[in-house]
Amino acid sequence: MNKIKALFCVIIPITLAFLFNTKIGQNPPLLKFLNPFMGFWQNAENNHFIFNHKAKIKGAIDKIEIVFDDRMIPHIFAQNDHDLYLAQGYVTAMHRLWQMDFQTRFAAGRISEVVGEKAIEVDRYQRRMGMVYGAEHSLKGMMADPKAKEMILAYTEGINAYIKTLSHSNYPLEYKLLDFKPENWTPIKCALLLKQMSAVLAMGSDEFYMTNILKKFGPEVTKDLFPDYPFKEDPIIPVGSKWDFTPLTTPKTPQSFTDATTGDVKTKEKIEGIGSNNWALSGSKTASGYPILANDPHLDLTLPSIWYQIQLHAPGVNTYGVSLPGAPGVIIGFNQKIAWGVTNVAADVLDFYQIKFKDSSHNEYWYNNKWNKTTRRLENIKIRGSKDEIDTVYYTHHGPVVYFQKPKYGRADNVPVGDALRWIAHDRSNELMTFYYLNRGSNYNDYRKALTFYTAPAQNFVFASIDNDIAITPNGKFPLKWKEQGKFILDGTDPAYDWQGWIPAAQNPTVKNPPRGFVSSANQSSTDPTYPYYINWEFAPYERGKRINDRLGAMSKATMDSIRLMQTDNYSILAQNVLPAVVPLLNPESLNATQKEALSYINKWSKRYDADEIAASVFEIWTKRLAFNIWNDEFVVKGIPMRYPSRDRTVEMILKEPNAKWYDNINTKQKETLPDLVNEAFKYSCDSLERRFGPINKDWRWSNVKQTNVPHLAKIPGFGSKILQIGGAKSTINAISETNGPSWRMVIELGKTPKGHGVYPGGQSGNPGSKFYDNMVDTWASGKLYDLFYMQTPDDKSGKIISRLKISK
Amino acid sequence: MVFIVIVIICFLLQMIAPWWVIIVVAFATCGIIGKTAKIAFWQSFFAIFLLWIGYALFKSLPNDNVLAGRVAVMTGIKIWWALLLVTGILSGLVAGISGFCGYHFRMAMLAKKTDEKLA
Repeated sequence: MNKIKALFCVIIPITLAFLFNTKIGQNPPLLKFLNPFMGFWQNAENNHFIFNHKAKIKGAIDKIEIVFDDRMIPHIFAQNDHDLYLAQGYVTAMHRLWQMDFQTRFAAGRISEVVGEKAIEVDRYQRRMGMVYGAEHSLKGMMADPKAKEMILAYTEGINAYIKTLSHSNYPLEYKLLDFKPENWTPIKCALLLKQMSAVLAMGSDEFYMTNILKKFGPEVTKDLFPDYPFKEDPIIPVGSKWDFTPLTTPKTPQSFTDATTGDVKTKEKIEGIGSNNWALSGSKTASGYPILANDPHLDLTLPSIWYQIQLHAPGVNTYGVSLPGAPGVIIGFNQKIAWGVTNVAADVLDFYQIKFKDSSHNEYWYNNKWNKTTRRLENIKIRGSKDEIDTVYYTHHGPVVYFQKPKYGRADNVPVGDALRWIAHDRSNELMTFYYLNRGSNYNDYRKALTFYTAPAQNFVFASIDNDIAITPNGKFPLKWKEQGKFILDGTDPAYDWQGWIPAAQNPTVKNPPRGFVSSANQSSTDPTYPYYINWEFAPYERGKRINDRLGAMSKATMDSIRLMQTDNYSILAQNVLPAVVPLLNPESLNATQKEALSYINKWSKRYDADEIAASVFEIWTKRLAFNIWNDEFVVKGIPMRYPSRDRTVEMILKEPNAKWYDNINTKQKETLPDLVNEAFKYSCDSLERRFGPINKDWRWSNVKQTNVPHLAKIPGFGSKILQIGGAKSTINAISETNGPSWRMVIELGKTPKGHGVYPGGQSGNPGSKFYDNMVDTWASGKLYDLFYMQTPDDKSGKIISRLKISK
Repeated sequence: MVFIVIVIICFLLQMIAPWWVIIVVAFATCGIIGKTAKIAFWQSFFAIFLLWIGYALFKSLPNDNVLAGRVAVMTGIKIWWALLLVTGILSGLVAGISGFCGYHFRMAMLAKKTDEKLA
C-alpha cells in the first residue's frame, strides 16, 4: 500500500514536469514558455535604459565600432571589408535572428522540421521547384568570386558569433513559442534568401492558364483578349528612345504550336500585389539643382520588417540604406556620390516544358529525336514528430519536373502536371557583386558596371549621381527568345523551344538623361514595341506609371516634400479612365435610395483612394464585380484552370467595344449588354457594403473597407500591427492594399552632403518585446519620412545616439 | 520555513536550471522539512506563485508590459495581468502539488520503515 503511495508521489511530479515541458499541438511547452527566468518574459526589453556593450569576436581583424541611433539603426565603422560584413552579420542577427532563420528554412523547404507534418506540402513545393538546387548553383557562383566569397564568409562568421552568445533565456521569442533552437548560419543560407526573393518576385507564371485558354478559345480570341502590348501604356524607357546597338538575331519561332494536359483547379483573377515605384529627377527639375531619387518597393508587409536599415562605413565605402536580413551589403540606398533603387521587372524567366517520358519509371524522356536520361535528386524532408520523407525529383536538362500529381496546395495551382520547369533562379549567379559595386559606386560608369553582375530577379535599377546623371535600366539576365516564347507551355521534345542564349547585358533596355528630365518605373512594360528583343508579353498595368510620369512631367523646382507627397498620392488613373464611360450607363430610375446616394458620392468623387472616401469603396467593388460579370461565365470552366484577360484589355473593351460578345452571360437565356452588367455590378457593390455596414455612413470609408494592417511573418496573432486607417490602393502610386504595399519609402536628395529620408512599416528589432519592433509604423501610415542619419565618423554629432557596441578580437 | 527555503533555492537555481527545478526543489524541501500536508502544499504554492510573479514583473514593468500584452492577445487571455496571474497560479499549482507529493512520499517511506520494523 505504502509502496504504491510512494510511487504515485514520484510519478505525479514527473508527469507534471513532462506535461508542461512538451509542445502539445499548436501550444508551446506551457511552463517552459511562461517561466520568467528563461521563457517569454525574458524577451521583454527594457524600454527606458539602453546600455553600451562590448563584444569579442575571434575572427575580427581590427576594432569595429557600431553606433545605434535613436531608431536603433546601426551605423557600422570598420577598418576593412571583412570586419564590415562581419559586423553586419552580427548586428543583423542580434535584431533579426529568428526571421533570417525562418525565411531561409522556408526557402529550403524545411518548415516541417519545425512545425511538423502540416507544412509538408509547403516543403515539397519549395524542393520540387528547385529552390535548394538553385541556391547550390548560386552559391558556386558567389564562392568563385574572391570578393563575394569574403563578404559571405565574414557575414556568416558574424551571425554565428552572435548565435554563440545566446542561451535559452535570450533566444528570440518565436523559438520559444515554436520550441526549436537557432542553428548555425551557413553560406548556402545567403543564397537561399536571394533565391527566395526570386521566388517572391519572379515565380509568376500564367502559361498553364494561357495554354488552356488557347485550347478552349483558339488563337484568334487569345490574340484579341491577351495582346502582347497593352492598349494604354507609358513604358519605362520613353517612347521613341533609339536603340544604339546591333541586335543579335533572335531564334526563329518554331512551326509547331503546343498544347498541354490540364488538371482541375479554379480560375483566379490575376492578383496584383507585388510591384514598386521608383524615379529620379535630374537637377534641372529640382530646387537644389541636384538630382532627387525616390523608391518604394511594394511587398507583402510583415513584422519583423522585410528590410533592415543599416549604414556601412569602411575604407572605400560609406553607404546607407536597407539590407535584406540574410544577405550582406545594402540593396536600396545611397552613398556620398550616388543613389539607387529597384522595382521589379515582369520578365518571363520561368517556363514550363511538356515532357514526353518513355514510361512511368520517368527514367528517359524524348528530346531532339532520341531518348535522354533524367537525373534524380533525392530531397530528404525532416518532419518533426514523424519519420523523414524522401521525395524524389526528376530533372531533365530543362530543370525539375515539378509534379506528377496535382497537390492540394494553393501556390501550386499554376504548375502544370508532368512538365519540367526552366527557371532563371536555377542558374549560377552572383547578384551580391552588383550591390558590392553600387555601395562603392561614384558615377554612371560604376553603375553600368555593377549591373552586369546581376541575374535575377530582374529589376528596374534607377540611378542618380551627384554629376547630375540620371538613368534607369530594366536589368537582369534575359533569355534570348522568339516572340511569345513562354506565353504558353512549351514543347519539351524540340530543341527549337529551348532558351538559346541571352540578351547581351549591354543591350538590356536603358536610358540615361532623357530630355524630359526624369526617369521612372512602376513595373509597367520596359519598352515600347520597337525594342528588338522579347522580354514578356504582359507587364503590370500602366496606371501607376502613368500617374508618376504625369506628375513628374508637370513638376519643376522639386523638393523632398513634393516627392514625399507624390509617394503617397492616392489618385486613380483607372477611375479617371473608366468612370466617364460607366457612370452614363447607370439607370438612376432603377436605383434604390442607398444606391442613389452612393451614386451621388461617385459623382462628387475626387478619384482619390483617400482613407475617408466612400466613393472609393463603391468604385472598387463595382469595377471588380464588373470584371467578374464580363469574364466569369466564359473563363471559369470546371477542370480547365484559366485566367481573366487583363484589366487593360477589359478597360479597352468597355471604352471601345460596346457590343462585344463577351458581355452576354452565356449561362442565361436572355442577351446581356454592357449597361446591364454595369448596373448589376453597381447595385451589387452598394448592396454588399450595406449588408456589411448598414445604410451609408462613415463605416463605408475606404480605409475601413480595406483594413490595412501589418501582420507577423508567421501570422501569430497579437504580434502584428493594429488596423491602420489609411488610404491608397493597388492602382495608385500609394499602392497599399490590405497587407501589401510600400515596404520601404525612400527619398534621397543628392548634393554636397546627401540627405536621405526613409521609413518602413515596422522597426529595426524583430523582437515583439522591443519598443523598436513597430515604432515606425505610425510614421509610415501618416505618410511622413524620417531624416536618415548619414554619419561621417563614429563621433558625428548631427544625430542622436542611444548606444554603442565595440567589437574587438 | 518551507516557503523561504523554496523561494531562495529556486531563485538561485533558476538562473541556470530549467523551470522544472521548482518541482524538484518543492518535492525535496517538503520531503525533508514539510511539517504537514497543508503546509507542504500552500507554502510551496505561494513560494513559486510569488517568485514567478515577482520575477516576471521585474522583467515586464520596465517593458511597460508591451510584450506581456502581445502574448496575452496571442493566447486569447487578452489582458496582460491575467497572463501574469496564469503564470503564477499554474507554476504555483505545480510546485504545490510537488510539495504535497514530497511530503506524502516521506510519510509513505516512514510508514514503510515502521512497517518493516514492526515486522
